[in-house]
Amino acid sequence: MKAILLLVALLSPILGGIVYGIERKLKARMQNRMGPPLLQPFYDFFKLADKRALQIHSFHSLMGIAFFVAAWFAVFALLVGPNILVAVFLHVLALLFFTAGGFSVKSPYSVMGALRELAHILAAEPILVFAVIALYLTTGSWDIEGILSSGKVPLFEMPLLFAALVLTIPIVLKRSPFDISEAHQEIIGGAEIEYSGIFYEAVYTAKWLEYIFIGTLIFLFGGSNYLIGFLLVALTFLLVWLIDNSTTRLTVHHMMKFAWGVLLPLAAFNVFWIAIWR
Amino acid sequence: MFGFLKRFRKKSPWILHYNTGSCNGCDIEILACLGPKYDLERFGIVNKGNPKQADILLVTGPVTKRARARLLRLYMQMPEPKVVVAVGACACTGGVFRYMYNVENGVDRYIPVDVYVPGCAARPENIIEGVKKAIEIWERKKKERIELPKLVEGVEGEPLDRRTLIRQLEEKFCKRLPGEEEE
Amino acid sequence: MTAFEIGVAILFPWIFALAIYLVNRHWFSVLLTVLNFFVLTAIGLHLWFSLHGALMFQPPHFVDWLILVYDYGLLLYFLKQGLDRKNPLVSVLALIQLLLLTWVVLIKPPSEVPNLYVDRLTVFMYLIVGFVGSMITVFATRYMLEEDPKREGEFVALLVWFLGVMNFIVSVNNIEWFFALFETTTLASYLLIRFRGDKISVNNALLALWMNQIGGITILLALLFAIHKYGITHFTQFSDHASLALFPLAFLGAAALVKGAQMPFHRWLLGAMVAPTPVSAILHSATMVKVAPYLILRLSPYIHGTLLAKLLIVFTGFVFVVTALLALNETHFKRILAYSTISLLALMMLAGAVGTPLAVTVSLMLIAFHAVAKALLFLEAGVLEKVYHAKTIYDIKHIINKAPFTVFFILVGFLSMTMVPFAMFVAKWLLISEMSELLSRASYTITVAILAIGGAILTVLYLKILGLTINRDEESFRVKLERLPLLFAAPNTLYVILILLATLFVNPLLVKLFGPVTGAVIGEVPPFCGQGLDVCIGNLKLPFWEILIAFFFVVFFPVIANYIHFKVDRTAEYTCGEPLRVRISTYNMVCLGKASPYFETIALALFLLVLIVGGGML
Repeated sequence: MKAILLLVALLSPILGGIVYGIERKLKARMQNRMGPPLLQPFYDFFKLADKRALQIHSFHSLMGIAFFVAAWFAVFALLVGPNILVAVFLHVLALLFFTAGGFSVKSPYSVMGALRELAHILAAEPILVFAVIALYLTTGSWDIEGILSSGKVPLFEMPLLFAALVLTIPIVLKRSPFDISEAHQEIIGGAEIEYSGIFYEAVYTAKWLEYIFIGTLIFLFGGSNYLIGFLLVALTFLLVWLIDNSTTRLTVHHMMKFAWGVLLPLAAFNVFWIAIWR
Repeated sequence: MFGFLKRFRKKSPWILHYNTGSCNGCDIEILACLGPKYDLERFGIVNKGNPKQADILLVTGPVTKRARARLLRLYMQMPEPKVVVAVGACACTGGVFRYMYNVENGVDRYIPVDVYVPGCAARPENIIEGVKKAIEIWERKKKERIELPKLVEGVEGEPLDRRTLIRQLEEKFCKRLPGEEEE
Repeated sequence: MTAFEIGVAILFPWIFALAIYLVNRHWFSVLLTVLNFFVLTAIGLHLWFSLHGALMFQPPHFVDWLILVYDYGLLLYFLKQGLDRKNPLVSVLALIQLLLLTWVVLIKPPSEVPNLYVDRLTVFMYLIVGFVGSMITVFATRYMLEEDPKREGEFVALLVWFLGVMNFIVSVNNIEWFFALFETTTLASYLLIRFRGDKISVNNALLALWMNQIGGITILLALLFAIHKYGITHFTQFSDHASLALFPLAFLGAAALVKGAQMPFHRWLLGAMVAPTPVSAILHSATMVKVAPYLILRLSPYIHGTLLAKLLIVFTGFVFVVTALLALNETHFKRILAYSTISLLALMMLAGAVGTPLAVTVSLMLIAFHAVAKALLFLEAGVLEKVYHAKTIYDIKHIINKAPFTVFFILVGFLSMTMVPFAMFVAKWLLISEMSELLSRASYTITVAILAIGGAILTVLYLKILGLTINRDEESFRVKLERLPLLFAAPNTLYVILILLATLFVNPLLVKLFGPVTGAVIGEVPPFCGQGLDVCIGNLKLPFWEILIAFFFVVFFPVIANYIHFKVDRTAEYTCGEPLRVRISTYNMVCLGKASPYFETIALALFLLVLIVGGGML
């Protein structure tokens, strides 16, 4: 199993790209369009590699690259490392570079996007931590192999928390209605706006890695029953894309109210219930 | 290596759309192209709205005097290789606004245009055809070459600071209008 | 022989302080503070390696009388200050303390229990005071040169003396002595806060004075009941009445909460920032507020598992989250630091109150590394204030264009409090894990939520401030590294090196430093199983490669960012083609400030709950 996990970790940008391709295709079908080919993200990838690069300053460009490397490392730590809680915090570390890049330029959209990104962290991180704690609580293991071979299905004990996690995904992946920090029609991508060429490629790819990161967390709720895990991942992403297609953007206030007022109590209640029930 | 990468250009052209004072007729048609009926995304075309990540500049409108400096800046902020498509009669020649006091008679007075799409307003089919042509031209372009208006000496190859370049171009072409201050 | 060293650790700063005050020359202050640094650090290290188990030590009998007389003098001084400044609250509280003290003296049974008690925890505090605290005094000499050279001796002497007081307070066993020294720290903070002598300084100093006197009163009440009910006069005697003597323990805990500036009493620490910056540095890092978690740790084995401990957890957890939220609303750099100190102090006390071996280790780690990080940040605040004339976060906007070094230090200071892989992150991570461990067995339920939320808030807070500083407009190679005066740069550099080394060598530190101290506090050590540099405690593992790579990201990326220069075209920011130069500042979340009264009310209610229900009065 270790070998498979390592392979997934190493191939995660490619897998993430495929997921993104599926997303674009499916979303187009939902809108009654043809949609781009499945491998469209990779065409974009190669095209971007071929562009002449422009930059604001080197610090900014470097932060974009650091975001990609750190995001990959977070996925790596999640899949191969011995503690998934640390991986969640490493994910925040990756976002640190993204926001640092956004803050480091004078562009108003970029700084605005970085500030909103902070709100995303504020909204999503506690729930991710809760999800990991819930996994520990049900399976008694902090590492991914232990969870996958625990003989339990965390979903059955943590349905409410899982629902909260699913509804957090739009916040983490910046999908509508919580695409606040990206907001293409409003702030034109937010913190990623000033990257171009090969540097934008790093940011673009780093966002694919988030699919793998969040997808793995979802998969773990299937525990040692991999079929349930795969089904969960597929249905969850389908739901998220459906929501993305059928809702409009809300504001930061709505997001914070929803995350802290609805999702967090939901998650907390589930964890406490299980903790007390035992 | 670069030959290999070049093959993917035509599969992922990203668009920047800029209106230099058009009547919005052509803009509606461009948006129609991106919508479900014509669905440009099936060719991998995305409206990016951001010059730094765009490959094709779709310009509409006859270039008013207010818009010309903006047009130049947006053009210079796009990374090479890039192509410019002038959409609609106004963008090609000035259209019905030609020779008016506030109009510059078409995009090609300021930036090099690769494809002209006629029509008032341009039909979506024409726009798609124009974009297709633009992609063909785009595939042939080199990524090192910055195309500049004729009056400025071309700069090739070496990294350069485009902010100073833009300033030079502005001084040369775009005399400031009264009431238009910088910073 | 060890007794002699303890005497040196306690008394040397007092003597040095006197000398500095009398001579009042810059070079002499520098010399003596540096000497003080070496003496205190060396003695701390020596004691650490020579001490086995705990050392009980009875100083000569006349010291007892001396302290009693001093105590009365101190309280009378407070009374006089209250009358002079026409602050009835101060004088009334001083009067109450005088009465209670007299009562205590009247009913105090003769006791042969030694008055000084030195164990690993004490020596651990010596090390923090010696290393972190005395570096601040070195910095202060230079700071006062910019501020008011004539009063340098007075100021530095006060700071050095404060270190001596702090060393004393962590070594006492006698609760009455503890009270005397507790009030001495109050006095020291009072004198330091009103140092500038203007109206606002004096007012804030009086605020600190009366708030801290509430702590004094609760200590005296605790002592009174301890003597009356159980005949306890010393901390070590609690072990005979463990978890019975809840009433005195609750009142001692309340004293800790006051000293630690927890929520209803947080205003004094916020007010303390009107003083010269080294005062804030020393109050927040090595001395004063650290008495609070120290006291909770001392009480931790006695309150472990009681209702009092649980209420303390709820209360400090609430304060942890709420003060972090309020910090988001602040714009003054030092006030933000103050709020984050209160928040993290709450976390330390929370961990101390949980009282399992791992939680105590976490509390100790937080004490140590918070001291270093806060000392660093406050000294940087001093640098910003004196060199760059920046006080609010709007003044430090895009300061990276002028001061890349300072920004890097601030970055290390902030990130070390929250981000992977710094030692304080390890502490936070261990605490979350420990809490989820307890979650599956017992009912420490609310804490998990608190930790998850509070941690996220603090992360966002630090990133928000860092974001303002790193907004740069030129390529980094065009920016000259700033040159700071040696006495400004040296302490900061030392702290940064310490933080970075502690990050890499966190496992040896855990096993060799925090483990033994935990053993001294509660008699049990967490199940360390790490080899070499890999952290491993029970089923919690943080391998060194994760630490190293994350360390590389956090530390090396900002550094090499100054030297990497991509040879590509430069362009302007996207502003829709307009020739605009817009700078966005930041959010300041005003809505949170409006909630402050509600937060304080709830905190007051919880505080009373700790006292009344936790103390077993119902």
